[in-house]
Amino acid sequence: MSKVLMKGNEAIAEAAIRAGCLNYFAYPITPQSEVAEYLSWRMTEVNGVFLQGESEVAVSYMIFGAAGAGVRVFTTSSSPGISLMSEGISYLCGAQLPAVFVNIMRGGPGLGGILPSQADYNQATRGVGHGDCRLLVMAPASVQEAAEMVMMAFPLAEKYRNPVMLLGDGLIGQMMEPVEFPDHLKSEPSNKDSWATNGIDHRNGTTRNLVRSLFLDPEALNNNNLMLRAKYERMKAEEVRFEAYNTEGDYQVLIVSYGTMSRVCKTAINALKGQGVEVGLIRPQTLFPFPDVAIREAAAKPSCRTVLSIEMSMGQMVDDVERCLHGVRPVEWYGKCGGEVPTPEEIIDLVKASV
Amino acid sequence: MAGHIDIKGIVVIVGNYGSGKTEVAVNLALDQHARGVHVRLADLDLVNPYFRTREVRRLMASLGIEMILPPEGWLQADLPILTPKVGGLIRNPGELAILDAGGDGVGATVLAALADAFQAPGASLQVFQVVNPFRPNTQTVAQCLAMRSTIEAASRLKVTGWIGNAHLLSETTADHIREGHDLMQALSKASGLPLLCITASEPLVAQTRDMGLNCPILTIRRQLVPPWLKPAAWHAID
Repeated sequence: MSKVLMKGNEAIAEAAIRAGCLNYFAYPITPQSEVAEYLSWRMTEVNGVFLQGESEVAVSYMIFGAAGAGVRVFTTSSSPGISLMSEGISYLCGAQLPAVFVNIMRGGPGLGGILPSQADYNQATRGVGHGDCRLLVMAPASVQEAAEMVMMAFPLAEKYRNPVMLLGDGLIGQMMEPVEFPDHLKSEPSNKDSWATNGIDHRNGTTRNLVRSLFLDPEALNNNNLMLRAKYERMKAEEVRFEAYNTEGDYQVLIVSYGTMSRVCKTAINALKGQGVEVGLIRPQTLFPFPDVAIREAAAKPSCRTVLSIEMSMGQMVDDVERCLHGVRPVEWYGKCGGEVPTPEEIIDLVKASV
Repeated sequence: MAGHIDIKGIVVIVGNYGSGKTEVAVNLALDQHARGVHVRLADLDLVNPYFRTREVRRLMASLGIEMILPPEGWLQADLPILTPKVGGLIRNPGELAILDAGGDGVGATVLAALADAFQAPGASLQVFQVVNPFRPNTQTVAQCLAMRSTIEAASRLKVTGWIGNAHLLSETTADHIREGHDLMQALSKASGLPLLCITASEPLVAQTRDMGLNCPILTIRRQLVPPWLKPAAWHAID
């Protein structure tokens, strides 16, 4: 297929279909409603299902039901809607069911505003729901990357039998860029017999599949959560993804930034290079697991004096940057919220002030 | 090149989501302003929350081009706010009033609410549908005509002409523009409606002129950009 010009929301929708996901439940909310709008006609072309729930809470349990039946399923929402889904997300983690959640973030707290934001970082990377749960969280910086990450998300959710979240700011959903898609992938989870309540008679030799998150026996719950913890540790070992930009040579400042915010940072880095100031960038592509080692190594370069965490929030990822640096380098946060996006000029001034 | 763009009275810009209506409307206003036409531009996009005409209000103000917008406190809302000033603009369009509607039939529905105003005696009304053949759903003549039907049904207006806006943003080549032009000529023939112009971003205008195409070329200086890009500098057309 040749390139087409698509909004991020449209590309996310099409990517899910290309990944073989033919089940979509959602409730509209700005700035991600184009996903639902697109799938309202596109799902009919591929004999898929799009059902609008009466609320995001209901949607999260429609996802639970479909995942429990062993089919690929996903939903999309924006910040307040994800808060409502948090209960179902926890239940999915507890029952070890795979599904994909997309959060196209808007400003908060509360109803906030409809413009781009990265203020749900803490919510996403700390599991969204209650209990000892975690999500694998991916953060795209372009429309093409959003499409690719959606297609990666389904097999990853199935590999870990755990929800995967795509965390994009409003710009990722709303901006248009050229995008191309690969051919169809396989349409069913290859390992679904390990969890799906699909009516197969397992009485001859194997244990039947139970979809549940209730463990009244404390030892059983403790063991269950140790097993979940081992899965999250395995994610840390196997799924870290990041992009390093301008980190080959020496630099005095290292920026850590993700999503579309990182593209503003790159514009600033390129301008600074023209002025003889070198700045490195680590862009986490996975927010959980976080690229601890990459950031630590990039910050440990002898020329590096300071590390800046630049976010469209009031300072959330900065905690993870500080955690992985163990105080080796001073860490500063810079950010804006509510739809205000730090400009390249502001970042240039910030870097110059810190060298 | 094949002439200038000649429009007067009320000009409504419609099209599918992401066809480039707003960028076209803004650059059309700039083009006509530079040719000495008195232009006013109204933002009627009630459905799209980002990249709306209202984002260029400062540039327009600096050039003295009047914009009709929702009240300042509601500019960033995703609420269907239609300022009564739009009705006044339609009744008294002056030399040229460009109305930028929202996408698809949903976005064009607002025009139906203004239908009475459009019926004013002596009103000169032109409705142009913007097509980018590199967007989903407007890649063939049949798809474009289907989109026209949807928009006409929702807006209670008839499309009177086409604007070809073939591009893939920074990845656009002259071949894309030629391919888009060919589709637009086929669409013009199939519909019996004229092709007002095609567009080309400033760096591709010279190449596009060299193709010797039989329609005017609207230069696009991209104004609605993400925060890591700068809007194209505005200067009067040669």
